[in-house]
Amino acid sequence: MSQDLILANASGRQAVSPHRRIPMSAWLGILVTAASVFVPGALGNQYWTYTFTLVTLYVVVAIMQNILISEAGQMSFGQGAVFGIAAVTAAVLTGLHGQPFWLSAIAGVGAGLVLGALFAAPALRVQGYYLGFVTLSAALVFPQLLIALDNITGGVNGVPAYVMSLATPIYGSITPLSILTVVAAALALLFHAVLPRTPLGRKMIIVSNSPEAAQALGIHPGMIRSTAFLIAALGTAVAGVLYVPLVGFVGPTAFRVDFSIFFFFAVIVGGQGKLLGPIMGIWLLYLVPNVFLADFSHYRLLIYGVVALFVMLVFPDGVVGSLAKWIASRRSNVEKVTISLHDALRDDDTRPVETIGQRPLIEVRNARKSFGNAVALSGASLTVKEGSIHGLVGSNGSGKTSMLNTISGFMPLDSGKVELFGRDVTRLAPWRRTRLGLGRTFQTPRIFDRLSIWGNVQIGREGYKSAPGGNEIDKLDSQAAKWHRQDPSLLPHGQRRLLEILRVMQSDAQLILLDEPAGGLSPEERADLARLLVHFRDRLGKTILLVEHDLSMVWNVADEITVMETGVIAATGRPHEIKSDPKVRALFTGGGDA
Amino acid sequence: MSIDELALILVRGLGQGAIYALIGMSFNVVVNSSGILNFANGALLILAGVLAYVLLPGSPDWLVWTLAAAGIAACLLFFVSLQGIVTLFPLKSSVEQHSWLVTTMAVSVILSAFIHLYGGSLAFRVPAILQPVSVFGLSTPAAYFLVIALAVFWFFVIRWFYQKTFTGLAMSAIAQDLDAAKAAGISVKKIQLSAFGISGLVLATTGFVGAPVINISADAGIGYLLSGFTALVIGGLGSNVGALAGGALVGVLSMFAAYRFGGIYQDTVTMGLLIAVLMFRPEGIFGLAAARKV
Repeated sequence: MSQDLILANASGRQAVSPHRRIPMSAWLGILVTAASVFVPGALGNQYWTYTFTLVTLYVVVAIMQNILISEAGQMSFGQGAVFGIAAVTAAVLTGLHGQPFWLSAIAGVGAGLVLGALFAAPALRVQGYYLGFVTLSAALVFPQLLIALDNITGGVNGVPAYVMSLATPIYGSITPLSILTVVAAALALLFHAVLPRTPLGRKMIIVSNSPEAAQALGIHPGMIRSTAFLIAALGTAVAGVLYVPLVGFVGPTAFRVDFSIFFFFAVIVGGQGKLLGPIMGIWLLYLVPNVFLADFSHYRLLIYGVVALFVMLVFPDGVVGSLAKWIASRRSNVEKVTISLHDALRDDDTRPVETIGQRPLIEVRNARKSFGNAVALSGASLTVKEGSIHGLVGSNGSGKTSMLNTISGFMPLDSGKVELFGRDVTRLAPWRRTRLGLGRTFQTPRIFDRLSIWGNVQIGREGYKSAPGGNEIDKLDSQAAKWHRQDPSLLPHGQRRLLEILRVMQSDAQLILLDEPAGGLSPEERADLARLLVHFRDRLGKTILLVEHDLSMVWNVADEITVMETGVIAATGRPHEIKSDPKVRALFTGGGDA
Repeated sequence: MSIDELALILVRGLGQGAIYALIGMSFNVVVNSSGILNFANGALLILAGVLAYVLLPGSPDWLVWTLAAAGIAACLLFFVSLQGIVTLFPLKSSVEQHSWLVTTMAVSVILSAFIHLYGGSLAFRVPAILQPVSVFGLSTPAAYFLVIALAVFWFFVIRWFYQKTFTGLAMSAIAQDLDAAKAAGISVKKIQLSAFGISGLVLATTGFVGAPVINISADAGIGYLLSGFTALVIGGLGSNVGALAGGALVGVLSMFAAYRFGGIYQDTVTMGLLIAVLMFRPEGIFGLAAARKV
């Protein structure tokens, strides 16, 4: 079956409702964390109860850091400062001003969120290493300010703060505080386990993999990055507040730059993206130098640096990640399963939508764009009518993709005008255009291997909420259970394209731009794709602009065709009308490329 | 504010700014050829200063000073090239293209840790080669003028290098279009390594010449790293003209803040500047819009 997706299903098991299952590793993490605190606690060993409660607080911070790095794809070297500002605020209020701890704690979390907002603000505009520098600068400045503002913070002397009610043992050396800490770690772990299956988590993964694809799905990448920083700040600040009653003293030297870098390295060493990574990372990086090699504690920073470098060079997946890979490689009962796309194509009794009309959905007028001396568009105009399939053809470099990028907003014009749905969008950001009802695919399919196949389809309708309308999702729902478990990384190129097309179909987009959808497909798959396009138009009333090199396919399905040549429109008209045009003939005979 | 206070802030600010500009240029050389920002640049600058402390006698003459400069330049050329190998190696096979953030940061931490083990958290004092100069009656270390001259020197040398040497031309080619450069038969890894080497030379000379006015201590590297990066963001990532302009701006502003509010607020002002520029003009104040999608 040509249109089937053939892929390997590593587990082979078909769970009935896998939608919200919490992975085993999360429960294992909770168990290990709880045991590390409660076993010495029940035995009444104060030293180990204290040490592992502190370690567990750090684990909470590292889990938040892990979410930032692996889900949101953002670098932060400043989580220690967020932790510190929450701790100092809470300590100053309880220790120096005698406020009740719960009030001080709320204020501390608030202060942590304010610093998180300082990271989140530039995240609206920039990403990646820029934010690495911003957060690093906060980690540098924070301890300086603690000393500079010594009339508030106690300066170099620090602030003593005791909270008797939390620090009094209730059994052995288990305190209410150690219970709170374990609960915080358990919640953080569960949150991280569930996040990738939520719409927010999926959006984070998309934004970190491809901000352009995110925009094409109607997602504002900056908003998602900012949200990630705020969530991380929340969890980190809670841990920071709990630090106060645990340690009983908060001084400025505790939160220096290396404290922030410690959390970053812990995640890398443990294994980015792995649920158990932060636990392993913190245990290794904190316990080994501070407890087992206490005599060498002044080599601590050196050890962090060397271990992080070593892990990055030898085990780039970290300790837990490499272990997981090794286990997966031993379990090689890979079973091939087949998924049919027929469900998407299934004929039913839906009446054809009669919407082919004269209203132009796309109107590009006199578009001009050049990069230095290279001219991409030199006065091209294009009109696409509602309910039609419009083919856009031309040789390589003729400006087809530039035209698509102009319409979807990724390439701002030097001059000219773009209207979508009768509205001037020339200056509108891509994600805003998506929200008007525009969808697109890319020449290189944007498939997210971190999401299941189903997740990849689902993000089509999660990108934005728009008016309810004809939506095909119900038909594909029957596939949900199967597709939920399957990882798209094993899909061949052509089927990744089909997946991206399915995704755009699931969105509410009325207007769909397809960039070379037939590339890499077999002749049978091309025939199916052609059927699918006609189905979109006739059954769902969608309007399609199709950039394609497969001219016979374009001539079969398109209602109108535009031919581009060196950045201008060479010809436009109905297929049979322009077939005799010499420029079009040149395309047909102009070699394999056309 | 009197005229001599203004002169003091201006001269010292421009001197500090020249150091930031030089750090910015050493970022640029590497980022243009590989997209990598070396987080160890601050620690490398301090390393050069520590080596100056180790090598220079109490009152050096020009011969010793020149020899020491050459030795430190060779040292950092070797070390940063080695760092280049370590940084570029994981990028070869892995899909994880952000490993450089971790490897360069790890090298930075390792260097700082070694400097800390060697000298604690105290600053090393490095003797000056020239007597202080009097500006408006205020004694000003000559090193401020030397680093300004050095910034201008490296600006022109790098420009000449990009335009006139084969390696330099290949670097510009890689910066403009990696695939085309590969297709033209340029050995990209070699060129990227030489970029690391050149950035090492820039940092070595800066740390050495500026040593008398640089805070050479284990913890100071990150402050210089951030000021250099902020200069770059203001000037536009990748542009050396921008680095000079941005460096001057960051230097004078943070010197003014230090004079007005106290030295402890210097980094705070730089951070504020960085965040403000990223929020309102991420492509830089002087820079053209970056075509590179990060």
